Amino acid sequence: MSDSRPDPKADQHGFAGTAGPPATADQEEEPTDGHRLRRWLASSARRERRLQQTGREPDPRFTFANERTFLAWNRTALALIAAGLAVAQFLHFNLHELRLVIAVPLIVLGAALAVASYLHWEDGERAMRLRQPLRYSWMPRVLAGGIALIALVGGILAVIDRLVH
Amino acid sequence: MARERTALAWRRSALNMAASGTLIARAAFTADLVVLGIASALSMGAMALLTWNHGRTIYRRRSSTSGFPHHQPGALGLLTGATLLIAAVALAVTIAV
Repeated sequence: MSDSRPDPKADQHGFAGTAGPPATADQEEEPTDGHRLRRWLASSARRERRLQQTGREPDPRFTFANERTFLAWNRTALALIAAGLAVAQFLHFNLHELRLVIAVPLIVLGAALAVASYLHWEDGERAMRLRQPLRYSWMPRVLAGGIALIALVGGILAVIDRLVH
Repeated sequence: MARERTALAWRRSALNMAASGTLIARAAFTADLVVLGIASALSMGAMALLTWNHGRTIYRRRSSTSGFPHHQPGALGLLTGATLLIAAVALAVTIAV
C-alpha cells in the first residue's frame, strides 16, 4: 500500500482509531510494543482531549453502557484485591509465606484488570465515535485463566503443605 | 432508565470501594500498622464518598443539561487511579501481615 494514500479510517485529525499519529519520515523502523506503550502513557492527557474531538458523539445509551461495563470491571478488580487481602489474613499454612503465593497474584491481577478496563473503555468510546466495530476484549479470558491458575496453585500448595508438615 | 442504571452502577462501585477500604484498614490494624490503617480508612472512605457523589451529580446533569458531555474520561481515570492505589496499599499490608 502506498504511503501517500490517506487512511480511509482516519478522522479529521488524521488519527485512525487507537493507532495514534502517523509515523514521521524519521521513523524508519516499526516501533516495538514497549515503545508504543511508553508513548501512550506519556500522552494520556492529550488522548483524552483527542477523544472528545474525535468523530461524532454517539448515542448516549451506548456511552452509558460502555461506562457501566467499565464500572463492572472495576468492581471485579476491587473484589480480586479484597480476595487477596482475605487470603493473606485468613488462609493459614504451616509455612507462613505460602499464602503470599496466592494473595499477591490476586492483588496484581486486580490492579491489571483496573488498568485494562480503562483502556477497554477508551477503545470502545473511540470506536463508537468513529462508527467502527468494537474490539474483541481479552479480559474475560485473562480473568478466567488467572483465577483458575491461582486456584490450582492454591490447591497444590495446600496438599504439599499438609504432606510436608 | 439507562441513566438510572448507570447511576446505580456508580453507587455499587462506591460501596465496593468502601468495603475494600474496610478490609484494608482491618488488615492494617491486625498487622499493628495503626497509622496506615487510619489513613487508608479515611482516604478510602473519602474516595467512596466522592464516587457516590459523582454518580449522583452526573445523573442529575445528564437528565437536565442537553449540552453535557456524556463520556467522563477524567472521572473514570481517577477511579482507575484510586483502584490502583488501593491495590498498592493492599499489597503493602499483605506483605506486612
